Formats: sequence, C-alpha cells, structure tokens
Amino acid sequence: MQSKPKVRFWGSEAANGLLMISPTAIYAILLLAAPLAMIFAYSFMTDGYLKIIPEFQLCNYFGECHSYKDVNGARSVAQTYRGVWSDPLALTLLWRSLVISLVVTATTVLLAFPVAYFVSFYVAPSKKSLWLFLITIPFWTSYLIRVFLWKVILGTGGVINSGLLEIGLISEPITWLLYNANSVVITLAHAYAPFAILPIFVSLEKIDRSFLEAGRDLGESPFMTFWRVTLPLAMPGVVSAVLIVFIPTIGDYVTPNLVGGPEGKMVANLIELNYKKLDNYTLGSALAISSMAIVMAVSLLFLFLNRRFLKGNKR
Amino acid sequence: MKGGWFRGYTIAYLIFLYAPIVLLPIFAFNNSTTVAFPLNGFTTLWFGKLWEDPALHRALSNSLIIGISAAVISTALGVFASRASTRYAFPFKGGLMGLIMLPLVLPDIILAVALLTVLLGIGTPLSLMTVILGHVLVCTPFSIAILSASFQSLDHSLEEAAYDLGETPISAFRLVILPLVLPGIISSLLITFTISLDEFIMAFFLAGNENTLPVYIFGQFRFPQNVPVILALGTILVCLSIALLATAEYFRRRGIAKTGGKDTGGFL
Amino acid sequence: MTSEKPTMSGQTMIEFKDVHKYYGDYHALRGITATIKAGEFFSLLGPSGCGKTTLLRTIAGFEGISSGVVMIDGKDMVSVPANVRPTNMVFQSYAIFPHLTVEQNVGFGLRKDPRSKAEKAAAVAEALEMVGLKGYGARAAHALSGGQRQRVALARALILKPKVLLLDEPLSALDKKMREQMQMELIKLQRQVGITFILVTHDQEEALVMSDRIAVMFEGEIAQLADPETLYRRPNSRKVADFIGTMNFLPAEILSEIDGKVEVEAKGFGRLTLDAEQVSVAPGSSSASIGFRPETLTILFDGQTATDRESRAEVVEVVYYGDMTYYDIKLEGTTEPMRLSMRNVFGRPVLDIGTQTRVAWSPGALVLFR
Repeated sequence: MQSKPKVRFWGSEAANGLLMISPTAIYAILLLAAPLAMIFAYSFMTDGYLKIIPEFQLCNYFGECHSYKDVNGARSVAQTYRGVWSDPLALTLLWRSLVISLVVTATTVLLAFPVAYFVSFYVAPSKKSLWLFLITIPFWTSYLIRVFLWKVILGTGGVINSGLLEIGLISEPITWLLYNANSVVITLAHAYAPFAILPIFVSLEKIDRSFLEAGRDLGESPFMTFWRVTLPLAMPGVVSAVLIVFIPTIGDYVTPNLVGGPEGKMVANLIELNYKKLDNYTLGSALAISSMAIVMAVSLLFLFLNRRFLKGNKR
Repeated sequence: MKGGWFRGYTIAYLIFLYAPIVLLPIFAFNNSTTVAFPLNGFTTLWFGKLWEDPALHRALSNSLIIGISAAVISTALGVFASRASTRYAFPFKGGLMGLIMLPLVLPDIILAVALLTVLLGIGTPLSLMTVILGHVLVCTPFSIAILSASFQSLDHSLEEAAYDLGETPISAFRLVILPLVLPGIISSLLITFTISLDEFIMAFFLAGNENTLPVYIFGQFRFPQNVPVILALGTILVCLSIALLATAEYFRRRGIAKTGGKDTGGFL
Repeated sequence: MTSEKPTMSGQTMIEFKDVHKYYGDYHALRGITATIKAGEFFSLLGPSGCGKTTLLRTIAGFEGISSGVVMIDGKDMVSVPANVRPTNMVFQSYAIFPHLTVEQNVGFGLRKDPRSKAEKAAAVAEALEMVGLKGYGARAAHALSGGQRQRVALARALILKPKVLLLDEPLSALDKKMREQMQMELIKLQRQVGITFILVTHDQEEALVMSDRIAVMFEGEIAQLADPETLYRRPNSRKVADFIGTMNFLPAEILSEIDGKVEVEAKGFGRLTLDAEQVSVAPGSSSASIGFRPETLTILFDGQTATDRESRAEVVEVVYYGDMTYYDIKLEGTTEPMRLSMRNVFGRPVLDIGTQTRVAWSPGALVLFR
C-alpha cells in the first residue's frame, strides 16, 4: 500500500494564492487591522496632553476620567471628563445616531425596494444596465456638494421656501425643514439610495421567474406569491441593503455637520471634536469603539431576527 | 403599459435622486448671491471667480496628485487581491478578503481616526502622502469589486492554453490575461480616481496643513457670499464625474463583452 | 499538404508507471500503469470524476503527480513545465483567446518560432486549410460557432507539430449531428498527420468509434485497457460491461472447471461449456453470472431454426426505434427480463407483448463473470 506523500507548501495552490494576495493583505493589516487594534487599545489608556500614557483604565467608557499634563516634570490633572457611557451628551448623540440611522435605513430600503423590483421585473433586459447606471450616477457625484445642496434646498431662504413663497402657497417660511433630525434623514436617505437598490436588484435578478409562475399556479394570489415566494428569495439582498446602509450612516459626519444643526448632531461630530479640537484621543477612541460595538450588536440582532422571519415563512 | 404603477414610482424616485444635481447648474449661472427663487438672470461671473483663487488651484493640484496616486496604487492592489480570490483557494481567504473589503461598510470617520492615531503614534507628519494612504484603503474594495467581475469572467483554460502553447506564466499574463482584464483595470482607475477626488473625511483628518478640493469646499461653506462660486465649482465637478463614470461604464461593458461574460449590471 | 508519418510507429510514446495523485486527502489517481504507442488514437473513457481528465492533465503538465513516473518519448516529465512539453491540448471549452482573431489564435504558439513572418503566415494558412477553415483567418474569435471554435483549437495545437495531441472532451459541447461529423473528421485528421491523439471522453460510443485502444477508468484506476472490439465483446468485469453498451446478466452456477474450460448451469440457457477466454475473474465477487449483449440473441420466426442453441421465451416489452426493435423478454425459467435487439429488415413483423416465442443464441457469444 502506497503511503500518502507529504504535501509541499511552496509552489502549492495555497502558497500561490497567499503570495498573490500578500501585497493587498499586508496593506490592509498594517493600515486597517493594526490601526483598529490601536484605537481599541487607546480606548483603555490614559490621556496625557498630546500623548498617551500607557496605563490601563476603564474610565473612558465608565465613570469619571482625568487627562494629565506635565508641569515641571510632575504630572498634574489637566482636565476632568466623563466616560462615554457615563456622559449624558455622548449617550444622547449615540442614541440619536442609532435612531437616525435606523430610520434612514428603514426609509431607504422601503423606498428602494419598488425601484429595484421595477428594474428587475419590468425593464427589458437590454435596458437594465442603463437604468442602473442612471440610478448610480448621483451616488458618485460629489457627496459634499450634494449634502450642501440639501442645505440650500431646505433652508429658510432656500429653494423650497422661496419657491413656495413665490407661488404664494405659504406666507411664512417653513423652519422645520432644516437643522434638525428630519433634514439629516432626508439627506442621508438620498445619499444612500443606490446602496440599497443595487443589492436588492441583484437578488431579485437571481429569482427564477418560473418560481413565481409556480406560486400562481398553486393557487396563491399575486400578493401572497410575493409574500411567500418573492420576498423570502429577495431577502439576502434586503439584508445586505440594510447592513450596507445602516453601518456607514451611523458614523456619517458631513450630513449632521451641514444640515443637522444642534438638534441633528451625531456621534461622528463628537469623535471629530475629541480628535481634532480637544486632542483627547483616548475618549475619541472609546467613542469610536462604542459606536462600532453598537453597530455590530444591532446588525447581529437584525441578522438573527431575519433568520427567524425566513424560518417562520417556510411552514 | 406593463408595471405602470412601478414605472411612475421609479420615475418619481429618480426625480428625487436628481433634484439636487439639476439645481446645481441653475443656481451656478444665476446672477444672485443668495440661492433662492425667483431667478435673477444669467451670469458666468461665478465661474470666472474660480480662476482667481490661488487656494483653490493649490487644492485642485493636491487633489489631482492624491487622486492619481490613489487610483494607481489601489488598482494595483485590487489586481493582486481579485486575481488571488478568483483564481486560488488558500487558507484564511475569507478572513483576509473580509478585512480588505471592510472599508466598504465601516464608517469613514472610524477609518480616519484609526489611521490618524497610528500615523501620529509612529511620528509620521501629516501630508498629501498620508491622505494617499487613507484613500488607497477606501478605494481598494471598489477596485476589487470591479476587477473581480473581470477576472471571474475569465476562463481558466485560456491561461492554460497559453502555457500549453509555450508561454511562461509571466508572458501568459502579459499576452492573454492582461489584454482581457484591461477594460476592467481602466474602469477601476477611473472609478477610484473619482472616489478619491470626492473623498472628504480622510482628507479632512489626514491632510495636515494641506487642502484637497473637498476640504477646501468644506471650508468655503462658512462664507455665505462664496456659495455661488462653490455651486459653479460643483457644476464642473459633477460634469467631470459623470464623464469619468460614463467612460468607466463603457470600458466595463466592453470588457465583459470581450470575455464573453454576462452583464450583471452596476459597479457594486 | 505535408503529412508527417510517425518515424517510430508502434513504439512507446507515453508511459505511466504507478502514477498516484492526491488532492489533499482525495486519492484521484491510484497507481496508473500504462503505455500509449506512437501514432495511436487512444481514449481515456470513464464516468465523471474517474480521474481521466486528471490523467490527461498530468501529460500536459497542468497537474503535478504525487508519485510515480510520467514519460513522454522516453523522457521523464517530472520537472518539465507545461510550456516546454512536446504536447498540445484541445480544451473542453476550446479556450479560444477572445481578444484575438482566428489567425492570431492559430499563430499564438509561433511567437518564438525563428521562421520569417511570411513563413509563419503560410503555416497558419496551411493549418486553417487542414481543419477546413480556409479564408476564416481575419474573423474575430467571438464571431465563431461551436464547431468552428473547435477547428481553430485543433489548428492552433497542430500547427506546433506536437508529439502528442491531447483532447479533453472536445466534442461534448456540440450537438449530435455536428459531433458525429467531427468524429469522422478527427479520425481522418489523425490518420493524415500521424500524431498520437489522446482523447478524454465519457461517451462510450464516441470512444468505440474513434479509438485504436481505450482505457476504461473507474475511481482513479484503469479497469480495462484494450481495443474497442475486445472491450465490447470481452469486458473483464461487470462494471466495464455495464459502462460500455448494454449487457444482460443471468445468475449462473459453476459446475466444474477442466483445463480452463468452465462448465456452468444458468436458468434459461441450461448447461453449457465456456472457453477460458470467455471467463472474467473479478476480484472479491462471490456469485457468478453469465453476460450477453442484446444483439447476440435472435428471435426465431415461424419455420426458422437455430444454427446453434435455442430457448423458449415470452415478450414482455416492445420498443420500436425505426431501424431497430428492442424487446424485453423472459427466458423460460427466469424472472428478470432480458434486453434483445432485432434489426427491422423488410417483411419482418414486430411482435406484440405477451407473444410466446423462441430465441436462438450461441455459447461463444457469452461471457462468464465470476
């Protein structure tokens, strides 16, 4: 009986693959994984003025924290601040960010579904890429200027108000359009629309049309066919749409900054404040880690609920 | 008419999507410092002002340097990663690809502060170079998404046929694989350049004392009298983006047609 | 047209010695030992996953082997990469370079050829004419039909005058008519150029039609290596018999064995004696059975008598195929229906289900598996 020879590593497929991916992988490890690990570590350290004191503590998350500076070689307290989960302001912003991005996600995905459905089911195959191209173009055109335009559109002296005043529909400018959570939701829903449409479209495209005919053939109404056949099959696309909109919106900086006003500020603005203005990297890191933790927890909860929905639907 | 209700809805949706972009040129040519109706007459004054601002020219040249570098580097990294992931099975493949694609979903601000922390931690001064590092991180996943489609539609036996006909792995890559994925590479270069040109957060955190175009624009938002000038600049940028994207889309489709693949639509 | 006659016809071209191949834990080739002669049309036949394509790719150099030896024309190929081996391949997908024209595809392998441009162009034109694509040179590759792509792939490989041409299921993508036409053309082409052809196929009919010799493979091993007629008439195991054509099996009892001659008793056939060459010994099998092909039994119509032996039978199923009629019959004393085929010559009736009839057969056409 022949014994199995030792498999050589060099020259094997595994080695070739690793070698091939190594430039990109090393880049990602050095400039992505390592930095993320570093802010994770920073969030447990002590803030010295413009430097980090490697002393472990949890106060950036809970309780009261001190930052220090050197005065004549001795350490003195420069500032006292509250950890993320003990600071009412940070909690308010985290909560608001979560609520806003959930609302944006729900709005975006619900509004996007019929568009994806239309392009997938009603547009002739040869015209599909044209429609998708039309949908994606606004996404690629200067994010900053698009957000700013919403400010211009929604403001008291802006396009909507001046337009409505001009034609006499209103006599006073509407003020609730800008500088609050509403304007943030509108702007973000606009910005992330293609992100929601494309994954749903892709999963709708994969559905074998004969399944739907089978559903009808077996005596289901169009709506029940949609509910029991189309929607479960499109679910993977809906899931990626939800995640791909939800995760980045929670950390959006530009939109709350430009159209949010004091009532619409989000956690990214606080992170920026701590990093750029206050130079408190440890608290900034704790904020970043906390928001990532929230994102991850909500995403996992969503994936879990989705699995329950699909199971319940099988019967 | 098939799908009448859906068609109406989709058209309304597209109007919502395009509304801001359509307003852009209207007010860029409007002869008024305030952005409001009624319109006040046609002018090209605001476009003229763009030529007079040296800070803008500096920001523009910075953005071009960053954009070209980021496009070239991220596309090169994208070629390696998408070739590896479509051609080979290897250990930790899922984990490594997941890490590389992570910037696609991670909020930019988190990437920016993490990178900032490390760069300052090892004492690297902030410069255009550091912005390039950040932009490569953001652009690479998009490059991979585009290039994977090109590499995926490549029949593996084409490469073997080239070996079989006497070519070495390197000459086979040059003579067969490269020409076939070239449209994808061009498309990736254009898209990543567009992304870099448009990227704000990374540049905002990592540029130090330098300005890129978006950072410059962001600074101008504080001055209401400059708004029409920004709209003029925005009009030019949007036209440029659309031109770049249309070219990219043309090359992407040509690449798919060339390798005989099926068009699955879209960049993502 | 120059036809290069093989200089050493009948000599060994390819030799496998105890070749093993593992993919991780999967044992894909399990000790292949075989020789392929120069100028031969050789087929590797087997179901998918049997290792035939893997074996072909070890010749081309696309797969390394885990142990053993692969020799081409007397040289060990272990450390010879695919691009310098004296073999060329026609791929299952044809692998026509989509960005090149037909001419550029056919001339692809001539890049390092020292000949002048004009000479190379003449060689390309000659190769195209040989495969029946004269005048197609300037066409774009993606504008070709399946059959044309296959011809381009053939020309591209043959222009390099390899010692061995490898064909990986080249006809499987074609429709039935086109496939049959290409089979004939390939046979003619092989005779014309005299190059050793090695064909991988899962289609037993294709292998029988085209090959000088066939290796039947199952689960990484060669089950039988023989010429088509031997393979059909004397399969060495029930598995090979089942894979190639249709074979009926009847349980049999061995009564005695004298000088290799075996005396057996089988229900429906009675007592008979078989020659040594009719006996296949399958290792590990406990029960014996008699095997016979559908066409070796003949229905006797009124007034006809058997030249050798005859048995009584009942028709239980009739399938009319135009040129042929297939009957399922039960031989007297048996329960399993046997397949029998009759050519529909003019004036011969087609029997109805339930007809009692007689069949003629000859012990020489039977095979004993034990």
